[in-house]
Amino acid sequence: MKTRALLRLAALVAVYLVVALPFKAMNLIPGFTDIRPVMALGPVYAVFFGPLGCLASGIGNLVADAADDAIRWTSIAGFASNVLGPLLVWWFWTRVSRTPFSLRTARDLLRQCLLLVAMSALETAIVAPAVALVYPDVDAALLAWAVFGNTAGFPIVLGIPLAILMQEEFGLAPVGRRPRG
Amino acid sequence: MNRLQANICLLCVTLCWSAEVILYACVPDGVPAFATSCVTSFAGAALLVFPFRRRVAETLRTGGRRLAAGGLLLAALSAAYNTLFLYGSKSFDVASGAFTFAMTVVVLPVVLLTMRRRVALETWISVALVLAGIVLALGPSVRATQTTGLAVMGAGCLLRAVGIVVLADMAKKHDPIAVAVLLEAFAGVLSLAGWFAEDPRLFAGLPVSRTLVAAWALYSYFIVGFAQALNVFAMRRVTAANATVVYSVEIVFSLAWGSLLPAGIVERIALSPRILLGAALVVAGSLAEILDVRGKRREAGT
Repeated sequence: MKTRALLRLAALVAVYLVVALPFKAMNLIPGFTDIRPVMALGPVYAVFFGPLGCLASGIGNLVADAADDAIRWTSIAGFASNVLGPLLVWWFWTRVSRTPFSLRTARDLLRQCLLLVAMSALETAIVAPAVALVYPDVDAALLAWAVFGNTAGFPIVLGIPLAILMQEEFGLAPVGRRPRG
Repeated sequence: MNRLQANICLLCVTLCWSAEVILYACVPDGVPAFATSCVTSFAGAALLVFPFRRRVAETLRTGGRRLAAGGLLLAALSAAYNTLFLYGSKSFDVASGAFTFAMTVVVLPVVLLTMRRRVALETWISVALVLAGIVLALGPSVRATQTTGLAVMGAGCLLRAVGIVVLADMAKKHDPIAVAVLLEAFAGVLSLAGWFAEDPRLFAGLPVSRTLVAAWALYSYFIVGFAQALNVFAMRRVTAANATVVYSVEIVFSLAWGSLLPAGIVERIALSPRILLGAALVVAGSLAEILDVRGKRREAGT
């Protein structure tokens, strides 16, 4: 990996951690221990930084867990889900969609929301069974809802406006669509 | 950013601001509200200055005293109407307080008319729907004894309406990041004065803890840095009246927090059919403004 890519990866992980770490220091809502607005960053990274951004999302999540002394065997599943989920978003916009990434119309917004729900379902399908397998006493259904809520909700309510801001006002170009074949 | 995107961003801003109460609940007891406002305003401004220092410096150089005066005016208006809302809302229960807070949506078009500015017919329709929602929800709960509270809230709404108009004007003339930075920096200065008056020991008098730093950090990122920047960028593309209609959805978010979150964080709200119907009318008014069903709306400033 080139130095420039490494520096970019480090910067993306740093931003991820700056947002993620305060949530590890306190219980935002008693009874809801796992509120992760930082999940909004994964798909945004995927759209604007491609696979490098997806990797940053996975590493960021892993380091945040390590900082919270919460590294378990299931962190492997967490890492995989935080890389593969955003990678699905990147894959859609570069390989499937016939148009480049845009959130300018209601149809675009609806499509992005559906994509984020699909991403969330994928991440839940990776994390929830892994946790249920390693920790049979954990309420897997509740965990699945928590993962789904975090990975769908925050990317939709915070991630979409952030992506609009980055593309429309800061002039950041989404990663390009790859030619077929 | 087009008008639809701007409205989506304003909805996100409204959601972030409505969540302020959750973050405030995380701030440990004994920390003055002025301290939180001061530190998070400065931190939020610093977060915006750091990556955009060149464009902020350039805008400040070209905007000069006029821009600085605008920033100070915005911060002063914000401090004044927040204080009025704080005192006015004591006359009401939580749900009624939230609905009276939304009266800005009715006051703002009147302010615009007095300034001889045009308000689109569609906006008037949205305002009428939101007003109907407010009246329906407030109807049985407001009594003659609450007239003073209502007047204080009305004065707050008037100042807030003027603040929104000033912000919309500034956002269209100057760089939005610079406007957001100035607003927050002056808000920080005003809060610092209030904090000093309340407790001259300032930081030395604070029960500093990991939780306090984390709560302030989150407040600075989401409520100040992200939401304020998003707000000013969105304001460039919509009219002040449009923005106020979208802001009125804060009622719905507040009601949702009040009915879903534990009592330790918010005052619980009992949802009556009247409140639900009132909230539905507010949402209908906002949707009419956001979705532009007739497709005839121009973007502000174009």
